[in-house]
Amino acid sequence: VNKSLLVKYFRTQISQDPDVASAAAAIRSLLEFLKRDQSETLLGLRENLTEAIRRLGEADSSVAVSSGGELFLRFITLTSLEHLDFSQSKNLLVERGELFLNKISLSRNKVAKLCHTFIKDGAKILTHSSSRVVLKVLENAAADKKRFSVYVTESQPDSAGKLMAEKLRRLNIPVTVILDAAVGYIMEKVNLVIVGAEGVVESGGIINKIGTYQLAVCSKAHNKPFYVVAESFKFVRLFPLNQQDVPAQFKYKADILKTAEDLDKEHPMIDYTPPSLITLLFTDLGVLTPSAVSDELIKIYL
Amino acid sequence: MPVTDKEVALSERIEAFLAELKRGGSGAGTLRGSGETARETTALLRRITGQAQWSSAGDLMEIIRKEGRRMMATQPSETTVGNMVRRVLKIIREEYARLRGSSEVTDQQESLHQLLTSGGLSEENFGQHFKDLRANVIEAINELLTELEATTDHIAMQALEHIHSNEVIMTIGRSRTVEAFLKDAALKRKFHVIVAECAPFCQGHEMATSLSEAGIETTVIADAAIFAVMSRVNKVIIGTQTVLANGGLRAVNGTHTLALAARHHSTPLIVCAPMFKLSPQFHNEEDTFHKFVSPHEVLPFTEGEILSKVNVYCPVFDYVPPELITLFISNIGGNAPSYTYRLMSELYHPEDHEL
Repeated sequence: VNKSLLVKYFRTQISQDPDVASAAAAIRSLLEFLKRDQSETLLGLRENLTEAIRRLGEADSSVAVSSGGELFLRFITLTSLEHLDFSQSKNLLVERGELFLNKISLSRNKVAKLCHTFIKDGAKILTHSSSRVVLKVLENAAADKKRFSVYVTESQPDSAGKLMAEKLRRLNIPVTVILDAAVGYIMEKVNLVIVGAEGVVESGGIINKIGTYQLAVCSKAHNKPFYVVAESFKFVRLFPLNQQDVPAQFKYKADILKTAEDLDKEHPMIDYTPPSLITLLFTDLGVLTPSAVSDELIKIYL
Repeated sequence: MPVTDKEVALSERIEAFLAELKRGGSGAGTLRGSGETARETTALLRRITGQAQWSSAGDLMEIIRKEGRRMMATQPSETTVGNMVRRVLKIIREEYARLRGSSEVTDQQESLHQLLTSGGLSEENFGQHFKDLRANVIEAINELLTELEATTDHIAMQALEHIHSNEVIMTIGRSRTVEAFLKDAALKRKFHVIVAECAPFCQGHEMATSLSEAGIETTVIADAAIFAVMSRVNKVIIGTQTVLANGGLRAVNGTHTLALAARHHSTPLIVCAPMFKLSPQFHNEEDTFHKFVSPHEVLPFTEGEILSKVNVYCPVFDYVPPELITLFISNIGGNAPSYTYRLMSELYHPEDHEL
């Protein structure tokens, strides 16, 4: 089965539905790959899948795609243990895969339902860059007739914050775009900070757009609650102890990884926020404290 | 609609309980200990299980949920009522699963693992009828009642590990659990207790009287003196009204001040709280988190003219964030505040968090 078709399918998924999470698109592409795969044994299937995941990672090097791929591999292993005969497993795999995809398409709504009760009337919220989950949370809170205003950081180098501000304006939510450097200045005015996450690591910390760590340190200094909203398929088996521990493949965009001569001179796109700075994580598995995240990961992977 | 005499008697019992809850809920006056409330709630739920008309686990759970909601609405700040209802609901689920012969109890928990491996939407409707369910549930509730009766003793048993000779212990207000804890340690060790009086209800005075009757050297201080005295204190041991889902506390007003003073002096803060006080709520629910009582205690009505010019509030509870707490001592042992999520998943089912 052609790997370039896979990448093309993945790209079409993202362009057709810009609201879909990249991990979900990756899992859907891998499921399509599974349907067309011709291997006769489980080992053959796993090898093909690992290669496919690697190709996907080359196309989009974010943490989310990597966590989606690993989760899918784990799903294959767990489900195929139920039947010893491979051809029987194959049908079961496809069926369960569709079910799984249905469930995770609902997770964003579950997260939004949990989080919007934490937003009170008259609240001033600070968020970072553009996150679809945070947008859904704010949408739900606005639909609940709550009055609040939002500050969004511009989030260079891609100015994603301005996109977020546009989307919020369309929902009639008062929004102000601030410079990334103005986070410390604005922190005394805000009541709470809500950010999304590209990946949630084993320690309960998060990997998110560059600038999140700064935001977290600032909110801790001002004693403001720092909430993270993320779906459960973003839980990833990494345990970085500091910023340098995050693998280089996640830090930079895929094309830069291929063409750059000296990675040290490139600007990283993500940073790591340790769990001590996070107050609560809102996921589709419930409201978790950072220490509960590793429990969830252990349940699935070990 | 009550059809039989038994049902009439049952609804009368429920109404009587609700009336008592409403009456006994003020922050001042004769406080009913939350232990008694927990025991009475569980006994009432056992009665409902035994006497109400139901044919399947689903019906029973609906009845209990309905009564539970009524009880919680009468006195929202008394969280032990809701906690006991949730414990009983979990008992019913477990007994049902056991009778069905499936080890599905762990499967029902939401987890990433369950998302991946479950086949089809597992809608458990609890519709099957089992003869033994009633007896099994009642037996399990009896076990729960035995556990409730022994909680204070189990906590007091751990006192000797935490209190050493010649220590200075600080506490605030009056907690029956802490009282038993300290009295148990006093049987073998000699130590000194400083009690903050906890205005405006000044329950600290009763605590001090009770402790000194047991032969413990006690000092009463005003709340304003907490920080001044803290440098000479070895440990702070307090009780609480509720333990929240994030490991924080809803305790008597003045506790946050005490916790901050302890953090400043790096003094360990130990909370003695039995498991029935653990509640799946967070402190964001501002409408139901705080309770205000008559400001007469703060500024009496006899002050006259000034009353029209000032706003006077008398809150009953305080929120203490989990970072200020060192250890929770409960009837099942000592735990760190960050472990609360695990204890909660063992006691309650996630679907019961919202009754």
